[in-house]
Amino acid sequence: MMNIDFASLSSPLQKLDGRTKLIALLGIFILALLFSQPYYVLGLLVLVLVIWWIGRLPWNLIKTILQFLLVIAIIILVVQIFFYPGKTNLVHISAPIKFIGFSGYITLEGLMFGIAMVLRLVVIMIVAPLMVMTTPLPEFMVALVKLKVPYRFAFIMTTALSLLPSIQNHAAIIQQAQLCRGITNFENKNLVTKLRAMAGLLVPLILGTFRDSQTLDVAMSSRAFGAPVKRTFLLESRLSAVDYIILVTTVLLLVAGIYLRIRGYGAL
Amino acid sequence: MQPIVEFREVTFSYPRADKPAIKNIGFNLYPGEFLAMIGPTGAGKSTLCYCFNGVVPQLFSGTLNGTIIVSGYDTCQVDIPVLAEHVGLVVQNARTQLFNVTVLQEVGFGCENLGWPRHEIQKRVEEALAFVGLSGYESRQPSALSGGQQQRVAIACVLAMNPEILVLDEPTSELDPVGSEQVMEVIARLNRELGKTIFMVTHDMEFVAKYASRVLVLNDGCLMEDGTPENIFAKEDLLKGARIRPPQVCEVSQQLRQDGYSIPQIPISLEGGVDTFRRLRDE
Amino acid sequence: MSDNEIIRCQDLHFSYPNGLEALKNINLTISRGEYVAFVGQNGSGKTTLVKHFNGLLKPTQGSVQVFGEETRGKKVSALARKVGYVFQNPDDMLFCSSVEEEVAYGPTMLGFEAAEVKEKVESILQELGLVAHKETHPFALSLGDRQRLAVACVLSLDPEVFAFDEPTTGQDYFGGESIMELVDQLHDKGKTILIITHDMPLVAEHAHRVVVINQGQIALDGTPKDVFSQTEYLRTLSLRSPQVTLLAQNLGLKDRTVLNIEEMVAWLEKEYLPAPKKVTGGIA
Repeated sequence: MMNIDFASLSSPLQKLDGRTKLIALLGIFILALLFSQPYYVLGLLVLVLVIWWIGRLPWNLIKTILQFLLVIAIIILVVQIFFYPGKTNLVHISAPIKFIGFSGYITLEGLMFGIAMVLRLVVIMIVAPLMVMTTPLPEFMVALVKLKVPYRFAFIMTTALSLLPSIQNHAAIIQQAQLCRGITNFENKNLVTKLRAMAGLLVPLILGTFRDSQTLDVAMSSRAFGAPVKRTFLLESRLSAVDYIILVTTVLLLVAGIYLRIRGYGAL
Repeated sequence: MQPIVEFREVTFSYPRADKPAIKNIGFNLYPGEFLAMIGPTGAGKSTLCYCFNGVVPQLFSGTLNGTIIVSGYDTCQVDIPVLAEHVGLVVQNARTQLFNVTVLQEVGFGCENLGWPRHEIQKRVEEALAFVGLSGYESRQPSALSGGQQQRVAIACVLAMNPEILVLDEPTSELDPVGSEQVMEVIARLNRELGKTIFMVTHDMEFVAKYASRVLVLNDGCLMEDGTPENIFAKEDLLKGARIRPPQVCEVSQQLRQDGYSIPQIPISLEGGVDTFRRLRDE
Repeated sequence: MSDNEIIRCQDLHFSYPNGLEALKNINLTISRGEYVAFVGQNGSGKTTLVKHFNGLLKPTQGSVQVFGEETRGKKVSALARKVGYVFQNPDDMLFCSSVEEEVAYGPTMLGFEAAEVKEKVESILQELGLVAHKETHPFALSLGDRQRLAVACVLSLDPEVFAFDEPTTGQDYFGGESIMELVDQLHDKGKTILIITHDMPLVAEHAHRVVVINQGQIALDGTPKDVFSQTEYLRTLSLRSPQVTLLAQNLGLKDRTVLNIEEMVAWLEKEYLPAPKKVTGGIA
């Protein structure tokens, strides 16, 4: 998943500075959390989808994300339907057992809140790839540093992400090795058995990762990591006119959103 | 000539270890030398490598006795980033020491950390990549390269910082024959063309015979012997005790000697062997 | 296919999911009791080929038959009982908390009775010299012992074929010799041995048959003497012949190939050099 082929994507979003994308991402995040009225969140989702379309990102990824979220979405919906303290009663359910917090009625507000929460989740999950798929890690790191995130912290984040593929590779090799020990669990259709098999990968994987991280530590230090000087960044990060427009738009939207919220709109 | 590296009675123990990893190590390294260190697994060779640039004792906690002077600096008094401009360390596993997304980022990493100006870094990266034969690889992913290429990138990474000394811990152990040849060629040229001082740990005795001007034998943390490849490979008992097998041509010559043939100097290379045996026949 | 042929590849082609063609037109038979080394550069396809023998990889085209049955459709865990595979890094194979547990795991899973399992484990630990470490945690062992343990675990499934992936790479001479001694012992017991390696002296000193893979195809297939006599060809494949082989050739030996120290000394003393001059004079 991390081996993203940036060259073949050719999205206009790639031309934006990393900082712009980070701030816009944060803005959408805040807006999503501000509103609990499903129509408002739906509006936000439409906006995000329009950005997705402008960015020329693949639509089947949206399908995958939705499939991935299906189970969680249903759980959220069910919980909110039954437990949200709403006023407009819709359906009366006579429960044989008294649930704590269950009023006995499915409420309209509960349903609306549930939908709003699901939509929020969808917005947040779709916005993440917008950033990740259009920003190579070095740019991401420079963006973080320019936003005054301490270099060490930004480095840890981006390096951890870039090392994920090698950990995945190692896990695949360990799996093969254990198959050769005659372990059948991986090839079992049963999900629980499969999960147990995955757990068996953990010890050799963690040990291997730990050993590798020691070597990494030596390699990084030997190349002056953490030197007490102002660090140079090969990658230039400059804001263009388009970046400024987007930044201003984000701020305006945020201000508008907060204003509406204060005035009582957007909440149930 | 003044030594460029001095080890003075260096002993180092890792925390909670029941015995020191290296004991009473004392030797000098002179500018322009190509020194090979050989010895069995667990002899303490890696620990010794880490002493050159301060990784021991600054990164790995433990007890260090003795002094290590590198290019005039005491490795205990000076931070690792300072030493990084004088000693370049390349470890065994090429894949693990590369962690950036492009070769450009990887090779420039050290110089970036040192805060050098951007145009200077770009120049250095270009030169380093050209030297190791990987010009044009700037936008490639290090993890997608072959073992030999990865190890050459690792060398370029330290070369970009322009150190006088290069310390390489088993650079070719995990490589195939092609990769090994490529990497050894680069290391030899670093010594021959750029005058870098080379300290290399290896298990490949044919490489030692071919490239090294001096050999150190380390066994069980102690320095057993310090001499030329010719001297060292002729010492059968020493090698056996250190679980080292000399180049095949040496073994053949030793056997001939035992069987009564007069061989004044044990040959250590293919060419030397051909010479010696031809002469022996023609006497 | 005769009863003695246990592995057979017919027109084997293999391409990775990303399209990379790794093996082309492989036709190969391996008989019971053979000792085969697969050599070639990294990326030549030697590991890819051997991974077809225990089902880790399935052919994209053509067929691979192991003990008379197609590997397609067979589970790796099932084939593991016939063709054992020892990975280069033993740590990738180990996951239990004691040596005894590790070796017992296979037979227990196969359904053997507790008493039988105990017997098996004892005998395997004896054979591999690991009895002293019965209670030790695998990761507390030295690398050499961990390698032996990995072999023990594969041995506990009692396969007829043993495949070793780069058993000596990254080790010192002693470590390499130690594991090769073990491999030779397994062969003496009648196991079929397959070794993937680029350590040419190892191949010259231990293997009975050498298959050279280059760019996904079989370039050479024969005895070590046959293969190593082709020095020029091997050089084009970037493979290094052992030093003694080259030495003998450079000294003019054309009709034979020298593979190891003993043969070199024998040839020099018997045919190339005159008799040693007697050292006259001595201690008075």
